[in-house]
Amino acid sequence: MKLDVVHDLQSVYRKLVDSTSRPGLISDLGKEAALLDGENAAGCSRSLLLLALTLLDPEVTFKVYGSEAEAVEGEINQLTFAKAVQADQADYLFLLKDAGAGYLEHAIENANPGTFANPHKSAVIIAETGAITEGDNLLLSGPGIQTKIGINVELAGDWIEKRNEKNREYPTGVDLVFVDRNHQLLSLPRTTQITESREVEKEWVM
Amino acid sequence: MINAYNFAFFDEGSKREIRRATLKAIALPGYQVPFASREMPIGRGWGTGGLQLTLSLIGREDVLKVIDQGSDESVNAVSIKKLVSDTTGVQITEHTSQATIIQSRHRIPEVPLKKEQILVLQVPLPEPLRYFESSEHETKKLHAEKEYSGAWLMLFEQIMKYGSMTTGADHPVMVHGRYVMAPSPIPRFDNPKMDENEALILLGAGREKKIYAVPPFTRIVSLDFEDYPFEKESFDGKCCRLCGSEGVFLDELIDEATGEVYYQCNDTSYCYEILNKDEKAGVN
Ligand SMILES: [Zn+2]
Repeated sequence: MKLDVVHDLQSVYRKLVDSTSRPGLISDLGKEAALLDGENAAGCSRSLLLLALTLLDPEVTFKVYGSEAEAVEGEINQLTFAKAVQADQADYLFLLKDAGAGYLEHAIENANPGTFANPHKSAVIIAETGAITEGDNLLLSGPGIQTKIGINVELAGDWIEKRNEKNREYPTGVDLVFVDRNHQLLSLPRTTQITESREVEKEWVM
Repeated sequence: MINAYNFAFFDEGSKREIRRATLKAIALPGYQVPFASREMPIGRGWGTGGLQLTLSLIGREDVLKVIDQGSDESVNAVSIKKLVSDTTGVQITEHTSQATIIQSRHRIPEVPLKKEQILVLQVPLPEPLRYFESSEHETKKLHAEKEYSGAWLMLFEQIMKYGSMTTGADHPVMVHGRYVMAPSPIPRFDNPKMDENEALILLGAGREKKIYAVPPFTRIVSLDFEDYPFEKESFDGKCCRLCGSEGVFLDELIDEATGEVYYQCNDTSYCYEILNKDEKAGVN
């Protein structure tokens, strides 16, 4: 690994801080991802692995969804010494791109939302998605965003509805982090409100 | 740079734990996230919470500014700067606008913060409800239930006693309509600066082992009553004796020779910048 675990992971962390404190701001993990050797990724993207290296250690637990879930769990465990557990007990849930339809919804449903007294004990879901680009398919608002910001994420399914349900009783809820194959990162903490612009158009027509 | 230390003093495991807590804090504006505060080679109560945040954030490209009650040159600020600079080699600045990370005790700088900056505030007492509730278990419950009548009562009692809200520093704020938060002992003058700020604000309490955050563009409302609205310290009709600035937080000083009262910017680097600008303008 040419990756420098001190400096390059600090850089990944700061990008995660930037994107989480300014939802809709896309961070580029390309530079750090290029430093990971190909053989390190047992079926998961380099940016997903970077995030695992940045956040995981023996003090936290995780779970992987996807066809290569077991291999990736083994890999992450070997690299970070974090323990793989059941979905509802995991601090971090990783979704591989091939996990397929419905898996993000499934993960959102099963993830630990924390409690009113300890909302920080909730899970973070980190998912490989289709292209993340600037756009206006989804309109985001909430802390970190001055009025509104638009974003495009190639991701089918009714994950937005499931997320709304899960985050209904703030401060409990789950935080989402998306990465695409070009190592673009989007963070959607639970405070971010998502509106599908199709709905906005519908309202407009009516 | 001393190579015997880890980069940024901490081992990577310590940084990771602080980083995880920080990300949670950003996702839960105003909520106090517990973390395993580390022993630091500076005295507790000297900003170890802020220092731990700074060390977990900092990278080689960062430019750091440290201020203590408005001053870059206080013993406390200097020792923090020395520790960070010795273990990272990062550039240190006194110019607010040039810093990427600003660690501060008791003030938010006068120069408006920008998008590229992170303000780290040192916090001695993170729990705004501690004044009337000594049990951590109980205050956690009050936050969980959004039961803040005690906080309002505390302010009301002060009004009854003094005829106004004489909270001085650390006047409690409501964050994103959910959590009552201690803004750290900044003067009331600085409270409005937190509201919809451009920069991320992170707050760290070392002794109490808490990290909390105010993301950029987050609604911050100082607690008050309709009949007794929140008011910041007023410096109407006063200006800095050195640079002439108005509308900034001023320290009241007494001229020992004449016994006369005069005022000076509390934010000394701001004051120097204004003075230098005037000098340059004078030359041209
Ligand atoms: Zn001045």
